[in-house]
Amino acid sequence: MLNRRDVLQKCVALGSVSIASRFSAKEMLAAFQKHETQHRKPTPPNTLGPFYKRLTPVNDVLRAPRDAGVPLTLSGQVFDTRGDAVDDATIEIWQTNHQGYYDLDGYRYRGKRLVDKSGTYSFESVIPGHYPDKSRICQHVHYLVMAPGHETLVTQLYFATDPVFEGDPMKNYARDPLLQTPELVRPVILTGDPNEVHAEVQFELCLERL
Amino acid sequence: MRPNLALLLLFCCLGVAAQAQTARQERSIALTAGVSLADATLSHSGNLVAAICSDRLVRVWSAHSGELLRTIDENGKLPSAVHFSTDDRLLAVAYEIAVYEKGAIKVFDVGSWKVQYDLATPFTMYTLVFSPDNHRLAFSDFHNDTEKIWDLESGKNLIDISPPFGGSVSLSFSPDGRWVASADGDAFVRVHDARDGSLRSATKGFTLEPTAVAFFPDSGKLLAGGVEKTISVIETASGNILRTIPRQPGVIWSVDVSPDGKQAAVVYTSAERFADINHLMLWNLDDGAVLADFKKQGITIYAGTFVGGQYFFIAASTSQLSLWSLR
Repeated sequence: MLNRRDVLQKCVALGSVSIASRFSAKEMLAAFQKHETQHRKPTPPNTLGPFYKRLTPVNDVLRAPRDAGVPLTLSGQVFDTRGDAVDDATIEIWQTNHQGYYDLDGYRYRGKRLVDKSGTYSFESVIPGHYPDKSRICQHVHYLVMAPGHETLVTQLYFATDPVFEGDPMKNYARDPLLQTPELVRPVILTGDPNEVHAEVQFELCLERL
Repeated sequence: MRPNLALLLLFCCLGVAAQAQTARQERSIALTAGVSLADATLSHSGNLVAAICSDRLVRVWSAHSGELLRTIDENGKLPSAVHFSTDDRLLAVAYEIAVYEKGAIKVFDVGSWKVQYDLATPFTMYTLVFSPDNHRLAFSDFHNDTEKIWDLESGKNLIDISPPFGGSVSLSFSPDGRWVASADGDAFVRVHDARDGSLRSATKGFTLEPTAVAFFPDSGKLLAGGVEKTISVIETASGNILRTIPRQPGVIWSVDVSPDGKQAAVVYTSAERFADINHLMLWNLDDGAVLADFKKQGITIYAGTFVGGQYFFIAASTSQLSLWSLR
């Protein structure tokens, strides 16, 4: 039985695929196959919430030196659904402070940045708190991701360490009434020492092409 | 306290008392045990109350007698929004078919309770509002950025007025039916032409989300407010903010303008506890004076309407639904 590569080579030989490129037929077929088979699922959207603030300044260090709360590094890469890195995406994030309060008067814990040439980004912040109303809304960071030629993504990142999930976000994610999928709950890596613990969370983002 | 200051305060209080209105509970309706309200609306005439109940039923009562007129059960589908037409003859109910996704809107004839219009929507809608002639219905959600105007007669002509992102939690048709205003999640108040969906104006004066919009009777101005806690008077054509009403501690939940354009009823909610929707202020739009200031713990204010120069509103506690008036 012919494999996928054999089929593609046969297509070239029979003229049903022609290569018009400065690259070799082998390279082009490999790229064609990669694009055909390597696809990513778009990041699930989540609600914008009522605390988005327009005109957020460009800033990826949201944490001030003596801020209370667990220091947090959020990082990741932006892809499209074909798996290609999106190098011109703007990521805007906003969150509460460690006590669960949004800054409505200023821009504390709000920031935005352009991804780098490989589509990667990072923000320095703190782990947000629960809302003070004791609702079951879990700790979260809002994301707004925009890139030319792609659907705008509004979503939220949640923390697997949130006590609401009781250590099992796959099972308990729906305890948060706004969370429809466990995909948005990310593992938390703790580094440092007990006197200076630091959290790191990776959040890859996948945009749909227009 | 110094005597002169005391005297000054006494005169100030007398001045306020002379024009202050007080809230009076007109009627209360006992809720079925174990059933709470998710949302409720009052008809434009103040005669009917419709509520989304926690048992997935929509109940409609007479506001005057408290009689239960109808219970609407769409095979257990979860209602997400209710709204009466301006002539009280239609009741639109939005339903969730799949969580945050597939939805439906059904428009019932008030009286026969037959479904007059039925629309499948790509997502669940949370805001509904009829045009003044009741021929069109604008709807929106805040999750998937859908915001459309539905021509009820043709059943097909859907005009898309969706914002770039963030959806909308409040829509308002101008009294002349020409414009539809939206309080959009991306922190803009937009005014679209209700006939073709073209954008007329976008107010840039907000940085936080506006959550409530309502037109003045002349259609030339509208009121809007939201998380910024300030009510703004906006010119429809330009989107320019003409003036503001003094900022209060609470986030603005809803606004209504009186038929003479001289008063605004504003419901506020706590910025820390969004569920505490229990503060209502009546403002004199001419001079910015407070005509009434009503706050009551343990209730949620859902909706209101001006009838004959008086403001009526509905509120609910865990056990009863109440109709209130400002007198």
